Amino acid sequence: MTVIETVPADSEDTRGSSLPRYLALKAGGSLISLALVVVLGFFMFRIIPGDPAINMTRGRQVSPGEVERLRQEMGLDKPLLVQFWRFVRDLFTGDLGTSYVYRRPVTDLIGDYIGPTLLLTGTAALISVALGLWLGQKAAWRRGSWFDKIHTGVALVFWSVPTFWLGLLLLLVFGGGLGWFPTGGMSTAASTDTGMAHVLDVAHHLVLPVVTMVAVIYAQYLMVMRASVLEEMSADYLTTARAKGLREDLVRTRHAVPNALLPTVTLIFLTLGLLIAGTVTVETVFSWPGLGYLTYKGLSAPDFPLVQGTFVVFSAAVIVMNFIADLLYRVLDPRLKSS
Amino acid sequence: MTEPTLLWDDVRITYAGGNVAVDGVSLEVERGGTVGLAGESGCGKSTLAMSVLRLLPRSARIEGRIVLQGEDVAGMTWGRLRAVRWTEAAIVFQGAMHSLNPVRQVRHQVAEALALHSTKEFPDSAARLRRVDELLALVDLSPAKGRAYPHELSGGQRQRVMIAMALACDPELIIADEPTTALDVVVQAQVLDVLNGLVRDRELTLVMISHDLAVLAAVCDRIVVMQHGRIVEQGKAQQILTAPTHEHTQELAAAFPIIGDPSSRLVVGRNASPGSPGEAGVSTGSTAEAGRAVLEVRDLTVDFRSRGQHVRAVDHVDLTCGAGEIVALVGQSGSGKTTLARTILGLQKPTSGQVLHEGKPLPHRRGALKAYRRQVQYVLQDPAASLNPKHTVYEAVAEGIRIHGLDDERERVIRALTRAELTPPEKFFAAIPQELSGGQRQRVVIAGALALDPTYLVADEPVASLDASVRGEILALLLQLRRDLGLGALVITHDLGLAWNIADRVVVMHRGRIVENGAVEQVLLDPQHDYTKSLLAVVPSKLGLR
Amino acid sequence: MTTSGQAAIRARRRARFAEVVREIASHPSAVIGAALLLVIIVLALLAPVLMPMDRLDVTQVTARGNESPSGGHWLGTDPSGRDVLGLLLWGSRASLLVGFSATAIAMVIGTTFGMAAGHFTGLTRAVVLRIIDFFLVVPSLVLAIVLSTVLSRGLSTIVIAIGVTSWAQTARVVRAQTLTIETRPYIERSRALGAGDRHIIGKHVLPAVMPLVMANTTLTVGSAIILESTLAFLGLGDPTTFSWGSMLKTALDTGAATAGYWWFVLAPGVAIVIVVLCFTLVGRALEAVLNPTLRAR
Repeated sequence: MTVIETVPADSEDTRGSSLPRYLALKAGGSLISLALVVVLGFFMFRIIPGDPAINMTRGRQVSPGEVERLRQEMGLDKPLLVQFWRFVRDLFTGDLGTSYVYRRPVTDLIGDYIGPTLLLTGTAALISVALGLWLGQKAAWRRGSWFDKIHTGVALVFWSVPTFWLGLLLLLVFGGGLGWFPTGGMSTAASTDTGMAHVLDVAHHLVLPVVTMVAVIYAQYLMVMRASVLEEMSADYLTTARAKGLREDLVRTRHAVPNALLPTVTLIFLTLGLLIAGTVTVETVFSWPGLGYLTYKGLSAPDFPLVQGTFVVFSAAVIVMNFIADLLYRVLDPRLKSS
Repeated sequence: MTEPTLLWDDVRITYAGGNVAVDGVSLEVERGGTVGLAGESGCGKSTLAMSVLRLLPRSARIEGRIVLQGEDVAGMTWGRLRAVRWTEAAIVFQGAMHSLNPVRQVRHQVAEALALHSTKEFPDSAARLRRVDELLALVDLSPAKGRAYPHELSGGQRQRVMIAMALACDPELIIADEPTTALDVVVQAQVLDVLNGLVRDRELTLVMISHDLAVLAAVCDRIVVMQHGRIVEQGKAQQILTAPTHEHTQELAAAFPIIGDPSSRLVVGRNASPGSPGEAGVSTGSTAEAGRAVLEVRDLTVDFRSRGQHVRAVDHVDLTCGAGEIVALVGQSGSGKTTLARTILGLQKPTSGQVLHEGKPLPHRRGALKAYRRQVQYVLQDPAASLNPKHTVYEAVAEGIRIHGLDDERERVIRALTRAELTPPEKFFAAIPQELSGGQRQRVVIAGALALDPTYLVADEPVASLDASVRGEILALLLQLRRDLGLGALVITHDLGLAWNIADRVVVMHRGRIVENGAVEQVLLDPQHDYTKSLLAVVPSKLGLR
Repeated sequence: MTTSGQAAIRARRRARFAEVVREIASHPSAVIGAALLLVIIVLALLAPVLMPMDRLDVTQVTARGNESPSGGHWLGTDPSGRDVLGLLLWGSRASLLVGFSATAIAMVIGTTFGMAAGHFTGLTRAVVLRIIDFFLVVPSLVLAIVLSTVLSRGLSTIVIAIGVTSWAQTARVVRAQTLTIETRPYIERSRALGAGDRHIIGKHVLPAVMPLVMANTTLTVGSAIILESTLAFLGLGDPTTFSWGSMLKTALDTGAATAGYWWFVLAPGVAIVIVVLCFTLVGRALEAVLNPTLRAR
């Protein structure tokens, strides 16, 4: 939740090493994290107290025979290491198991649901980044002004709002109450529209979930950009620029902002991966047919292979984005580009 | 009638909080004149310089008149001011690393000034970049350097880029704010040469700011000495350097002793001023025979891994320090002298070779190393940073005593503070570092070392971050500790003047090797190695006398 | 240590504390935030007095379900006829409790790992860094969801799930600060005086990172409260206790949200926003005052 820290955690360890070495280090780190996620995803469901079969059927009336059948179906009658080996082997062939609820391979389900999630997070991220960065640098440059106070204040309030509750309110007011926007789903069920009409229909459904996500995440980008520009405000090279006779807005756009953008862009990529995992709440509220909604469904069943699968996908998204962030940091900042 | 290029008329500058930085300064800089502004940190010289282009923070209040080329700066509109900036007066900022935008190629930063002010002469960016190449050539930089980012250039090259940038729009006046501070002596000499040549060839008007009188004398005809926001002395450069009359000017001048002048040998500090009897600095003479060897370094090599490459910081070094002997280890930055010191202290593992203390090799076990560290103590460069800002003086001095679990803590602290001349010691117990002056802080660091009754001191640039007037006091303290306690010291420094001031023996280090080692008079007055000769050639006090 | 020295140090600490309080007082938003928080905490502590539990017992309530706000029930009633204001009061206890205890766990883990990753070198650092990195990349919401699915239901599970997933950011900040401190010459001086790891961490590093940890604490409490409500909303909360999150869950499940019973949806949400905002305001002010790198601004 802290927004002041603007440099990737371990940048100083690798500063100055050559690009291939840096790439190898970072890729290696990402692979280790991914492996840890897989191991954790596996053992958490098997070692931590309770029997998955019993947990799974918690709150439901099941006979001992049913539980036993379930155990066999899940491969729980085999030794743990054998189970783990099978799990890893299957994973490499792209097999994440079979969903209990949907009775379909988890991989297929994820394939079906990932598109809407990417559409939702992509749109929300683009808007949030543009809005957050622009307002952030403006607010920092006019620190202490009304513009700064209002925008920082609004951002802090949005930052303190639980995403699902904001979604709920928007749904009540603009969906249920005013009826301006649909209350759920990705397209009108009965419609057979194609082409432009379909696009518009999806866009109509997209508005509320996107607004909800933007409200919560633009605030974070605003605060980061603001802090980052403030960091540069007292830099000596700005005095040089002023001494050369540059107008204040040119001092800002040509000198302060490019420098402030470097750490910010990196941080944004770090959080982009987390956005995908964050869709669990938004998609649940708006019944948006994406990975988050799928996870929610899996949780309420409960459908462990499914939850385990989405867990791996969510974590992998963050790990991949972190890797990109590390690369960008390296590529964008000339100070780190060693010849 | 020729009007002055720049005129400060009874200028007072006050910062928020009533802090008066400049207090009634009147100064005229005639066309083509070269004026040096000298003074210690905080004397108001930089504030005065920045006021010319109205670059001070908004909280600063300016009274009096500042007239640039006949035009009152305070009366200019923003538009007029922007047009004047860089075309009539340009600034060479101190610390070019921070004064250049780190994420833009330097040629674009130079071209930016042309794009703002000289669009008639250089209408398109190709013409401007061609002009940038010419400007870089003026400061002896190849066009290829223009494509570099600031961090890819050395300190001297960055400073030259700053000079080229200042020349871009052919300003009448150039203000150079500590243009050579933080540069190595050799590089400093090169940058001063460039500046000197440009001033001569282009008949520039120059205002240069420095804490170093000799550097100013190397470029400027006239020197103005400031203290507490006022001008205390001004005159011809030679006269200020060789025959200063004001006490403060004398202190500034004493920080750059003339090597070979017997009056500055082993007599330092305020006592060096003519007329006052030298008491603290009573000489034990360089004849003090080097007793038994306390520290011995045998065939020591230290390698580092950096950027995936091996760097040899210390290369097969042999060195002996006798009891009660003050040895100056001299070299440029990057010569490996600090690494050598850290290895002697057991803070850095040697790659090969050994360090012996009282004939016994340095232990590797933690417990034994701890016992060794009681014997040989470290005094670091920046006293402001080498004291934990949260600890009181008492805690700082008692830290070592507590680590080693010694008894009579209070007694020891009092004794150590007294020896470091912080008296009465009780008065300083509860003070925290930020309440002390730079010299007092360094005394606390020294007291912390003395509290463990060491047999030898290693001091890394002990006065480099201190103002000129304090420098003498600390050096006198080192001499006095040697006289009273027989405590020797290995003093690491880039400053040959310091070696001349206090050392018995000088060891010159270059690229990890020791290239010359001998008695002070021998090494400094009759250098054998080329590197020592080149170092002596660029000593500031010599620059000024050229 | 001498008595005079100790007295001086105590006096200095008091002075420093007073100075911090004065500086925070110069941030009006932080003062308002702190005052509101104080009121809310006192109300939460007094809940049993202000609203005895039996008045919220479903079998004993007299009001009808989903009554709109009135003189008798300032914030109306929930679907079972319980007073929403009373639920809100009792809910604050669980929300604050989870927020504080989860944060305590996160701070202890985060500070320990952060200092270890900054201070030590070699294998220790590599392993600790890897662990921090891992917890940084695993989405905490998802991990908390998984943990609370797998562990038995209960308040302690929620606390553990949130605590275990919220420390990585703190560790990162603490590590950065530790690295900064460790480059300071006074650490080198301390080593040259013969100090070992324990002395350096205990006397120099820990006191230097504590202010940052303090500021981080207030910020983390806020996010822990949001996380608790999110978990409850997803049906992973403790069904036996009231919390603001479980109230919202009830509102959604019983259709209060869509039936226009706005008071039952609005009240817990606004409560969360206010409390989290207060913690954030105080945390930011603390950060600005205590974090030396931000001070120059």
